[in-house]
Amino acid sequence: MIRQLESTLVIPAVAVFIALLMLFPLVVAAGQAISTFGQVAIPEPQAPQTARQCVEPTEVMRRDHMKFLLQQRDATVIDGIRSGKYSLVGCINCHNPSVAGEKIVRYQDPEHFCAGCHLYTSVTIDCFECHADRALETVQQSQLPGELTGLWPSAEWKYDSRLLTAQTLRHRPGSSQRVD
Amino acid sequence: MSNGSYLRYSEIETSTARYWGLLIGLLVFAAIGFAAAHHMDVEGHQVSGMSNQIVWGLPHVFAIFLIVAASGALNLASLASVFGKQAYQPLARFSAIVSIALLVGGLAVLLLDLGRPDRIIVAMTYYNFKSVFAWNIILYIGFIVIVAVYLWLMMERRMHRWITAAGTLAFVWRLVLTTGTGSIFGFLVAREAYDTALLAPMFIAMSFAFGLAILILLLIFSFASDRRVLDPSHLQRLRKLLGIFILVVFYFVLVLHLTRLYASRNHDFERFILLDGEVYTILFWVFQIGLGTLLPLVLIYSPKYRQSRGALISACLLVIVGAFAQLYVIIIGGQAFPLDIFPGYLVESSFFDGVINTYTPSIWEILLGLGGFTTSILIALLSFRVLPILPEILAAED
Amino acid sequence: MSTDPENIDMRPARRHFLKAGAAMAAVVIAPGILLYKTGQAQSADEPVSSRVRWGMLIDSNALDESDVDACVSACQREHGWKSSGNQTDAQWIRKVKLSDAQTGHVKFLPMMCLHCENPPCVDVCPTGASFKRADGIVLVNKHTCIGCRYCMMACPYKARSFIHENLKDQLPVAPRGKGTVESCTLCVHRIDRDGENAVPACAEAVNRGEHKPILFGDLNNPDSEISQRLRQLGATSLRADLGLNPGVRYQGL
Repeated sequence: MIRQLESTLVIPAVAVFIALLMLFPLVVAAGQAISTFGQVAIPEPQAPQTARQCVEPTEVMRRDHMKFLLQQRDATVIDGIRSGKYSLVGCINCHNPSVAGEKIVRYQDPEHFCAGCHLYTSVTIDCFECHADRALETVQQSQLPGELTGLWPSAEWKYDSRLLTAQTLRHRPGSSQRVD
Repeated sequence: MSNGSYLRYSEIETSTARYWGLLIGLLVFAAIGFAAAHHMDVEGHQVSGMSNQIVWGLPHVFAIFLIVAASGALNLASLASVFGKQAYQPLARFSAIVSIALLVGGLAVLLLDLGRPDRIIVAMTYYNFKSVFAWNIILYIGFIVIVAVYLWLMMERRMHRWITAAGTLAFVWRLVLTTGTGSIFGFLVAREAYDTALLAPMFIAMSFAFGLAILILLLIFSFASDRRVLDPSHLQRLRKLLGIFILVVFYFVLVLHLTRLYASRNHDFERFILLDGEVYTILFWVFQIGLGTLLPLVLIYSPKYRQSRGALISACLLVIVGAFAQLYVIIIGGQAFPLDIFPGYLVESSFFDGVINTYTPSIWEILLGLGGFTTSILIALLSFRVLPILPEILAAED
Repeated sequence: MSTDPENIDMRPARRHFLKAGAAMAAVVIAPGILLYKTGQAQSADEPVSSRVRWGMLIDSNALDESDVDACVSACQREHGWKSSGNQTDAQWIRKVKLSDAQTGHVKFLPMMCLHCENPPCVDVCPTGASFKRADGIVLVNKHTCIGCRYCMMACPYKARSFIHENLKDQLPVAPRGKGTVESCTLCVHRIDRDGENAVPACAEAVNRGEHKPILFGDLNNPDSEISQRLRQLGATSLRADLGLNPGVRYQGL
């Protein structure tokens, strides 16, 4: 009789188990949402400091920034095209420009431009596992001489001034309008 | 005479407490394995023993073992459906489900060891068709689908006329799959341990032996725990088959090493494996040849042990031990030996050129590998319980 | 000229035909000439092409140990990697010490990805992340890399490294992250910016004026400095028996 009971119960039991597994995070999240309703501010990321406006209107960017980034990354990696208004380095330089000496803002910090919305929407940012999340000078600021091997020169060394951004790259050599 | 139409298959009916206890134990162990993989993913592979010198380690040994054994485990079903050996017909469903279970476990270990396991979807959508690895992904997934369909055809009486076609397709597919697995190494020109066409057929031979060893062990275990009759004549037949397969593997190993020893160009590497290699030498002679080949042959062919079920079980376990040793020597021993980039020079560098590379498996890799193995056993045992896989009785032959 | 129907002069028709034909030919050919000229100055918006093939020529006789150290540290500075002797550390370029067992001669040379023409790492990558760009640079597209390390198994020169730990503070020109594979990029960011005038960081560390122990250039251009030097002095391809035709070759071996 136990055998019959078992055979009728196994499949529903497994189904219930899997359903609970999958719904558990939703339940937890719903609970958090209900308990904090109205207390979490909708993010309003600060406008970029250096340019007057972004390369696309805000509403377009909110929806489509991943689409632009995905197009640009293939163009850059496979075709070597580093110009164009969707260059990631250009985005970062504008939205998280460097001010040497100020507090370093990394992509996990809520003050980071990207984190502002991404923390709110709970969408994990994968880009900054590899890409620099801030402009160059503040990267260098983090790299104290003590962290490096003896082969590195002293702290006074500065990165070569020929910095890659969407603004500085215009033409390849051979043309007369090379911008450095 | 065993005949499909007179034979009944049914789910096993071991006492509930024992069965569920075993299942939960295996589930917990598999979960620990997946947690270990998660730890490697979060902290990076620095917590594992693998490095830029030994690039593929214990997880790959486990994964390749499970995948090779999976394709070999299908043999009994192929012998019945494709080659018409009716004697193996009762075990055909069992053979098919175990092969699926082993492949799923092996694939799990392989995928969880990736540097970016979150990109599995990328692996399934971006294809470089010149890569054996890419072909293998298609072959592995296709194998699971094809064998699942094959299994269903065997279980559905109205579909029996399609069994030969499906069995033939599964058989050919598994040969291509194992060839692909061997070619993962065979196509690499960079390392002296690989770069040979012989690895593909050798892996096929290995698959016969490894798969059958696991099948025999699972068969004896599940029949014993469900108190079903398993007549020794069936085991005798499987025993003889295992003996032949072990001999074929031994043949390939002999040919491989003797050919390499013939050319002085390979002497350094062969010397490393056969003489100087410490870990690898011990694994080769003691575990692969001694425990994995010679001792099982004695247990199988010696008149003293011919009737002993215990000897057969020991032989199967030893074959599995020898299998791991063999794959460890191939995969890791092959990487331990330095690349010969500058012939005639002694090489030193900060990137460990010119030195024998060392490797110590970490607990995480061991747990991941065992977790994958456990997953396979789990799937197999679960399927014995909920599906009519095992024949009710394996009676004496006429 | 003649409008007399009985005496139709074919010359105007032929003349018209010739004029039209010449005009058409000019129209067809001229853009080609124009494009060829502008093609030399490739704009940054165009994809790279196989018209060029980038390579390097390393003169091992002209490099002593401190030079090679300088190469390695220049690459580290440029790309933000460092190595402290752990087995899991990345090494885009490394100093190799060669001692000839017969003669006792010792030399040092830098070794990096050799950017083969037939790269085994590209053949084996399951997702195509390891790829050869049209201009000959072998790269890892880390957006697609799943970290299987098969390319590391396949590389005959052990040029590739796998990143075993979480990274932070990557340089903008060199994105690198845990779980993917990387190797020398021939300073692709400099090449994309400067073209044939580019100087990879390792070369910049040791070249002084006309003395260029590490010479970068276009292998497809017979008039480039690297092609001329290869023609005059020849060079060795490492593991030439594998037939990979590397873009980075060595003199003095």
